[in-house]
Amino acid sequence: MTDAGRLAASGRVLLAAALIAVAAFVPTLVGARAANEIPTLSASQEQARALSQPTAAAWNDAPPVSVPLSSAPSTVPNANDTSIDVVNVQAARSDTELFVRLSWADGTRDPNAAALPNGTPQVDTFGDAAAVQLPTNASAQPGIAMGSPASTVNVWWWNRLVGSQEVLAGGPGTVTRFPNDTVSSNATYRDGRWFVVFERNLSIRGENRTALDANHDLNVAFAVWNGSNMERSGRKSVSEWHYFPFGPGPQGPPYETALWIIAGVAIVVVVSVTVEAVRRGG
Amino acid sequence: MSSPGGNATQQDGGPSTGTRSGDGTEPSQGDGVGLAEGIDHQVAMVMDLNKCIGCQTCTIACKTLWTDSGGRDYMYWNNVETQPGEGYPRNWAEGGGGFTSAEQAADQSHGNYRAGQLPSEEDYGRAWEFNHAELMYDGSDAPLRPQGERPEWGPNWDEDQGAGEYPNSYYFYLPRICNHCTHPSCAEACPRKAIYKRAEDGIVLVDQERCRGYRYCVEGCPYDKVYYNVLRKRSEKCIFCYPRIEGAGPSEGTTGLVEGDAIPPACATECPPQLRMVGYLDDEDGPIYKLVEEYGVALQLHPEFQTMPNVYYVPPFAPPQLSESGETVDVDRIPRSFLVELFGEGVHEALDTIEREREAVQRGKESELMDLLTTKNPARQYRLEVFNQ
Repeated sequence: MTDAGRLAASGRVLLAAALIAVAAFVPTLVGARAANEIPTLSASQEQARALSQPTAAAWNDAPPVSVPLSSAPSTVPNANDTSIDVVNVQAARSDTELFVRLSWADGTRDPNAAALPNGTPQVDTFGDAAAVQLPTNASAQPGIAMGSPASTVNVWWWNRLVGSQEVLAGGPGTVTRFPNDTVSSNATYRDGRWFVVFERNLSIRGENRTALDANHDLNVAFAVWNGSNMERSGRKSVSEWHYFPFGPGPQGPPYETALWIIAGVAIVVVVSVTVEAVRRGG
Repeated sequence: MSSPGGNATQQDGGPSTGTRSGDGTEPSQGDGVGLAEGIDHQVAMVMDLNKCIGCQTCTIACKTLWTDSGGRDYMYWNNVETQPGEGYPRNWAEGGGGFTSAEQAADQSHGNYRAGQLPSEEDYGRAWEFNHAELMYDGSDAPLRPQGERPEWGPNWDEDQGAGEYPNSYYFYLPRICNHCTHPSCAEACPRKAIYKRAEDGIVLVDQERCRGYRYCVEGCPYDKVYYNVLRKRSEKCIFCYPRIEGAGPSEGTTGLVEGDAIPPACATECPPQLRMVGYLDDEDGPIYKLVEEYGVALQLHPEFQTMPNVYYVPPFAPPQLSESGETVDVDRIPRSFLVELFGEGVHEALDTIEREREAVQRGKESELMDLLTTKNPARQYRLEVFNQ
């Protein structure tokens, strides 16, 4: 083999090594992005018909995300005394509907039968509850604690005693019901776990209502209350912001493009410098 | 309040003119009285515990008007409990709430208060269902008794029990409503600010549109005078019969009243011994100002809770203790320490003042205080239209 031939071979080896390095590097970037993603199943019409049922087999097709929860920052007494650490979240989208299923372990189904003599709750009974929080402006990321007056949130709320409500909030203590609910919910308690499905039509639009048909990622956060621990109001377990990947294909954080440019330039520089060095050394 | 003597009447619900006071003096506003910020006037009540006979007519008047059904069955916005006793709900005074200090109470930032506990259904006592139909219509010989689970507690479970040993046993009755506090800790406790003091008269109300039934107010009231309605899923409380105060009540048949006149709360008007006085704390010519500010004989219940109640009590006197041989001895039958526990250190001066004024009357002297405490003139007892324009 000639010198030129050896040089070309070394160059190819280095290039291959560089490509391998890039191939190894890319997934870490994508992985960092995916940590807060709630993957959304594209549901067929047949699946969609079943998804309203909280324990339907169709939910096995939706990838689950284990979302960690912590006590919400709040001024109410004992706000740090919450009991649910994690909620399992799944989402599915048909042509017309968005389904979100929350599932979490709760040893007490509150209120239980003892707390409901004749089906009536008692004065010190609180219901288990869960909520899905979305920015009112689908492209915004409001403050995690129920938004602010300038950047409000939609909350889909389910409570074992009250049922579901669709509310608007602009910060703690501002929850206001919409005049009509467009979100429905179904809940099942099975084997020590709650399964709650929220469902809303994608095409519904309206003042102060989150648009679900926008063609970009949608932020979402979750909350769970354990009634027997007297959790209600700001005494709740909450998640950080996550997102539904509703955008056109992979899309990362805003700084991702800059990172890719820097990485690309660096790779080109390193490869050229190395090739040049090998060529001169040869 | 119009005088039954007819010296001031209000026609057709229109604005009243001139003085409304029974004694013909012009109303003047007490500048020295501490009102809550943003409040024009503070409606208030004085209850003379020496007159209470524990008949519960006030309780029933209130219940019939406001809480007879719809998830309110267990509620007594007005209750009369025996003291010493556990009260309603059971051991309410030990349940926390209120403020830790006067400074905390005066703090303008929202949500600064002392957290408390949520009473249980058992603490209130469930509303008993009786076998009336069985007895009245089915000819049963069964005794009249609560149906269902055998009750083990309820309002007035310890009625007339009191304390002390014969022949020196003692008790008195303590009627309680919402105190419509100057610093309502229930309002501080609400994360949604659903509880507010009305600007015109300081009545504390739960905005039923804003309330979401979290019950922090129930925990935060040291007097346990906010109640949760499990059917409506909202908290509710004494409203000081504000529709009556606004002239919306049933004037027909009430002595001296014409349509549109302000009517005192039902617990006051229906009281057989007429132990309550109702008016404005800042009406210097009214009974409340005189008894509270001028003579200092009407005291707040548990002033250490720091909420500054606007319901005041004239503390009870009792006959002195008896010796074993039945001789009267110079020892208080109701221990002064117990009254101090309920009404604070002001008890000493209040009781001394009443004693002094009573002796003056016994010596044939005039006493405005004793005159006021024993008046049978509704116009002196109730002054609610004094600030009307």
